[in-house]
Amino acid sequence: MEPEGRARDRVPRIDPYGFERPEDFDYAAYEEFLSTYLVILTRRAIKWSKLLKGSSGVQRSGTVKRYIRKGVPLEHRARVWMGVSGAQAQMDQNPGYYHRLLQGERSDRLEEAIRTDMNRTFPDNVKFRKNADPCLQKTLYNILLAYGRHNEGVGYCQGMNFIAGYLLLATKSEEESFWLLDALLGRILPDYYGPAMLGLKTDQEVLGELVKTKLPAVAALMDGHGVLWTLVVSRWFICLFVDILPVETVFRIWDCLFNEGSKIIFRVALTLIKQHQGFILEATSVVDICERFKEITRGSLVTDCHTFMQKIFSEPGSLSMATITRLRESCRAKLLAQG
Amino acid sequence: MSRKKTPRSKGASAPAASAPLAANGSRPARPIGPPPPARPSLGGGDFYDVAFKVMLVGDSGVGKTCLLVRFKDGAFLAGTFISTVGIDFRNKVLDVDGVKVKLQIWDTAGQERFRSVTHAYYRDAHALLLLYDVTNKASFDNIQAWLTEIQEYAQHNVVLMLLGNKVDSAQERVVKRKDGEKLAKEYGLPFMETSAKTGLNVDLAFTAIAKELKQRSMKAPSEPHFRLHDYVKREGQGTSCCRP
Repeated sequence: MEPEGRARDRVPRIDPYGFERPEDFDYAAYEEFLSTYLVILTRRAIKWSKLLKGSSGVQRSGTVKRYIRKGVPLEHRARVWMGVSGAQAQMDQNPGYYHRLLQGERSDRLEEAIRTDMNRTFPDNVKFRKNADPCLQKTLYNILLAYGRHNEGVGYCQGMNFIAGYLLLATKSEEESFWLLDALLGRILPDYYGPAMLGLKTDQEVLGELVKTKLPAVAALMDGHGVLWTLVVSRWFICLFVDILPVETVFRIWDCLFNEGSKIIFRVALTLIKQHQGFILEATSVVDICERFKEITRGSLVTDCHTFMQKIFSEPGSLSMATITRLRESCRAKLLAQG
Repeated sequence: MSRKKTPRSKGASAPAASAPLAANGSRPARPIGPPPPARPSLGGGDFYDVAFKVMLVGDSGVGKTCLLVRFKDGAFLAGTFISTVGIDFRNKVLDVDGVKVKLQIWDTAGQERFRSVTHAYYRDAHALLLLYDVTNKASFDNIQAWLTEIQEYAQHNVVLMLLGNKVDSAQERVVKRKDGEKLAKEYGLPFMETSAKTGLNVDLAFTAIAKELKQRSMKAPSEPHFRLHDYVKREGQGTSCCRP
């Protein structure tokens, strides 16, 4: 490995998405990872170019699924996400709809709620700064405003700002970001963001049940200390790992999320927990558990996104949508009974 | 933020386990527990005699995270922080009359719908700091709704304090100091105006809470009773004196 000083000179201070690297960023470790990952990216880019050559859209298929699990190159990401999620079809069927939403009726409450978060969404990203040209803050505001008007039952929920922000960074298109947000919130995820947040609470419980089956020692630790799952994983679900895991890893996860649906979130969560089971089990208090759950989202396991994505499909073992659906039903009923 | 984190291997970088509690907790302000069976462990700089859980609540954008960071690190997060989603916490150990008091401070998302996620934690809180933003009338008007929520979910004897934050923004102020005082009086709450930006009254608010909690949990019968209201009134700095 090269000495760190050299790596620091070679790796740009700002990442490809516009995020400033933190002071304590480990340039040497990152460069080492990148040297192998770039080879993979190049190989995948050639394969994707061949696959997409001549075709206008991307349809779900066995080949596409296999390709997506190995990562979608940045230049094809928007097109692939739009295709497999059904967002493209929605956009094509509703021409002008997005722009009509932007000209819709004003709502001070909605606008104020969104505005409160504008300066608090990615202040460490140069593209979201007030003085950036073009400044993505205004674009982000539009997407969230349009969504709030499109889905009045949900309106705006904190966390959506981070998701829409990442969509914008990946697609560089305001309207496509809107339709992808609609695909996520309207079809892929159960009701995470509505006023009752019932889907979120349900999925946290579902994760608890899955841990009970697959990693009983961790479940026992949580029970023993009376730690509710919401305390340690609510941000994983609400932000879909934005600001939890490294940017590239989040995009790789979303590649699969758009294609395979919300069970991917459980795969990621279970992998993080299983890979650090011993470390988590050393916890001696509630606070200690919380800190360990933060710690397990850092380090080489998640930085090496390619290996991590292979692990999420092997580590947790089988995880059928039927199981998730069944658990969602029982957890939801339990929550509703509790009131 | 995840990208601010240094990639490093697991296991070697295990965070230090919190030291177990070493105080004989007595109600009503029973310290965080139950104490782990094996004690005491030496937590180095993390050593403390007694620990309490404090929660920051109030509308989205009133400055809860900034207040906490100002207290914890003595810094102001101007344009470098992100909205709090869900719930998070930070610890700080204070010296209160020779006793090391650890405050475990829970920071919560302010948006209304998150209350249904966060109010489960109210019941374990020993103290609640309820914030509004003096430049945002709606956040002040919502204080009553917050108090209703607190009444329903928190322990009945929870230590509660009302804070009007962002008083550095004199130009934009829309909630007068006397309005805050009046509301506080109505509900019998200690009250202060604060500024996470300048640091005005920030340490004082947390110190007052720590004193009250420490007193409640370990007061010797001979010790005079600590009066939170009087302390806050006496020590709290006005905001008019510092500005032309």
